[in-house]
Amino acid sequence: MNDETRKPFEFEALAADLEGLLCEGPDRSWTDAEFDTLSARVFRFQFEHNDTYRFFCEGRGIHPDRIASWQDAPAVPATAFKRLALRSTSGHPEAVFRTSGTTAGPGARGRHFVPSLALYRASLVGPFRRHVMSGLDRAPFISLVPSPEMAPDSSLSWMIGAAAAECATDVRWLVDARGRLETDALRGSLQEAASGRSAVVVLGTALALVHMLDAIGERRSPPLPEGSRVMETGGFKGATRDVSREELRRRISAVTGVPAGRIVNEYGMTELLSQLYEPVLEEGLAAAGVHVPPPWLRVRALDAVTLEPVPEGHEGILAFFDLANVGSVCHVLTQDVGSVVDGRVRLRGRSPGAEPRGCSRAMDELMGLARTAG
Amino acid sequence: MTGFDAFAAPGAAGLADLERVDFTAGGVCVSSPALAESDILRIASVLASAGEAIRGRPAADIASVLGRVGARFTDDRDPIRRRALELLPDTSGLSGPMAREVLAGMARDWTEPALLALLRADLGDPAVLDRFTSVAGRRVMAVGPRLCVQIVAGSVPGVGVSALLRSLLVKAPTLIKPGRGDVVLPVLFAEALRAEDPALADTLGVVYWPGGSETLERAAVSAAEVVVAYGSDRTVAALRDLCPATTRLVGYHHRLSVGAVGRLALTESAIERTADEVARSVAVFDQRGCVSPHVILVDASGDIGPELFARRLGAAFERLEASLPSGRLEIEEAAALHQLRGTAELLAATGAGELVHGGASGTWTVLFEQRGGALEPAVGRVVRVRSFRHVSEVVALLEPVGAHLQTLGVAGFGDMLEALAAACGRIGVTRVAGFESVPYPPARWYHDGRPPIGELVRWVEVEGGESPRIESDPMTRPIR
Repeated sequence: MNDETRKPFEFEALAADLEGLLCEGPDRSWTDAEFDTLSARVFRFQFEHNDTYRFFCEGRGIHPDRIASWQDAPAVPATAFKRLALRSTSGHPEAVFRTSGTTAGPGARGRHFVPSLALYRASLVGPFRRHVMSGLDRAPFISLVPSPEMAPDSSLSWMIGAAAAECATDVRWLVDARGRLETDALRGSLQEAASGRSAVVVLGTALALVHMLDAIGERRSPPLPEGSRVMETGGFKGATRDVSREELRRRISAVTGVPAGRIVNEYGMTELLSQLYEPVLEEGLAAAGVHVPPPWLRVRALDAVTLEPVPEGHEGILAFFDLANVGSVCHVLTQDVGSVVDGRVRLRGRSPGAEPRGCSRAMDELMGLARTAG
Repeated sequence: MTGFDAFAAPGAAGLADLERVDFTAGGVCVSSPALAESDILRIASVLASAGEAIRGRPAADIASVLGRVGARFTDDRDPIRRRALELLPDTSGLSGPMAREVLAGMARDWTEPALLALLRADLGDPAVLDRFTSVAGRRVMAVGPRLCVQIVAGSVPGVGVSALLRSLLVKAPTLIKPGRGDVVLPVLFAEALRAEDPALADTLGVVYWPGGSETLERAAVSAAEVVVAYGSDRTVAALRDLCPATTRLVGYHHRLSVGAVGRLALTESAIERTADEVARSVAVFDQRGCVSPHVILVDASGDIGPELFARRLGAAFERLEASLPSGRLEIEEAAALHQLRGTAELLAATGAGELVHGGASGTWTVLFEQRGGALEPAVGRVVRVRSFRHVSEVVALLEPVGAHLQTLGVAGFGDMLEALAAACGRIGVTRVAGFESVPYPPARWYHDGRPPIGELVRWVEVEGGESPRIESDPMTRPIR
């Protein structure tokens, strides 16, 4: 390895420590002291190795020697990923994930440089297993998200690919390289799954699931086997129509036979390498609308004007400190609004200006075109 | 908490018993009946029938009645104006002084002279709405739609009333769904119209539903001859999809307005006035108007350079905060503003040449951008300043957003103005105005480049040399 591509040793050491901890999964209990120690170490590392972030911190008079906790580390706005390369390592990244970025055209897509995919894998597998696989060791996957080969710059595709490698007996990728749903193959896969006995996992963006429901229409297939579940992610921004989450849940349930309590919403974004989930499989439908972060991700709701933390249960703008983001910037201020109680988030729904991770809008546009052409 | 009933429609018997749907806007609870499709259809039918009674009335008389009602909103002693000013800050999110300013500016166009000027600008003689009239050697009559449905989005108070006036002026019974932040004025207008002229009031229905309610919008559209839609591209496209081929849609989609400052306005003696006028053009409506500039292009060859101009503009915003304070932002808007400011701060920190000038309380933001990305609009008195050296650079910058361009605010171009206006007009700008008049186009303006009244009517022509003897009362005279 030459100097150009060599990652700083510090990064390797930090990433290895984090990977070890994250691999222990979300059930490992983390003390505040542990999180504080690690976050201080990561913040110092990012301050020293990420020039853009250091200038930003210095502009606000913030230095790692003088902060009391991770909460004092400046949060970068998620939009900044569109304008700046926020990298804390100088080596060649193992992946560059891009946001769907539709409001300002394709030229304004955010980039997340990921120096260690092993760490990303460590951050995503445990929570996925706990919140989506609950009660299953391995199962067949039906993915309405393009495969990582088809969408190499999608963090969502990579995540589903990595989760499938750990948890799937078999994956059907039913969205092609152009973002189109292969409806015949979908019908076939659902029928095949329904005639078997293994519980299956269906994964897709909310929008892809709407397209699935449209494609199946009234010709609903027999119900999927007991224990099957659906993971739904992303919003509807820019889509041709909105469907409320409750309505989507109801329709998915009616068409696939998967009970509403087995439809799990995932909340994630390209700018964060960790994800939050609705714990409905463990706690039932009462937990719908609440998202649980893994213990290495902390979330706060901040006042709309001052950006100071709001009291527990009050709505604010959400900011995340994600240790898995060690290679970029951990502290990210989002455009999403919600409240936090006991470390869990209740989202108000994606802000009108916010972009869902993945390919919701792009896919809808492509499908719109496909329909027009047809 | 104050309550406000966002509903005024004739033939509403029975609707009073419907379940209510409420939303809270500031300290006001805005309440409206939870209408079903059948209710919308019934109201539409009652309105359309009421149209018969006013068709024989001279258009000029109708304009006169509407103007008398509109003028009440300009009279400080009038209880209807006082009630509007009580409710507007909460329901629109504008500050009290801004609400007063906006109402004054908008209602200027609701008076009889302004309405008659609007009719004349588009139709020539308003009598062409009453009977066949000779226009440039043709015998023509203009006919307003049987029913005009107006679906308005947004939170700029006054847009709804300006919209409904246009269709009432052409004798079209009007069903309007105002924007969420603009429910008060159309309802108060309908009440005032009822007091003035019950027969005309019977042709106006104001109902609120959350925009995008497809079943209700489908019902409303199905009853209309002309649909007028104000909103995002998506809103307008969705409504267009709902319109049958025989229903005309007049769409006012998303727009972006900008400003340009030439060197004559960048002298030491002119700069303060220039900055004040630019700041005011941005601040009115808290930048929510389609006319509100989001980017100011500054001639780099001026005595005051673009960067210094940005600072002077900041100072002007700070001064303006005392007389026209900013309103409150919705939390989503504040979230978007933090993204924009934080990103600009990061870019500035890395020496990418962006300077942030923000009010201490975060009420305004000026970004000086040496190299720009896309021209994305933002909310909350946020303006980007960029430099240009030649008109061709202005054109190059604006061309990519041409489909959405509307107003170009200008100052300091002298005899260069027409060349600039022509160049920008060819790529999409439809209105060039001095910054001082940017917020309030005259009632008769070419709204997004089209005649607003002309868009609503259908022309009927009697051809041939024979002069038809149908002038006096076309509705009742038997035709042989």
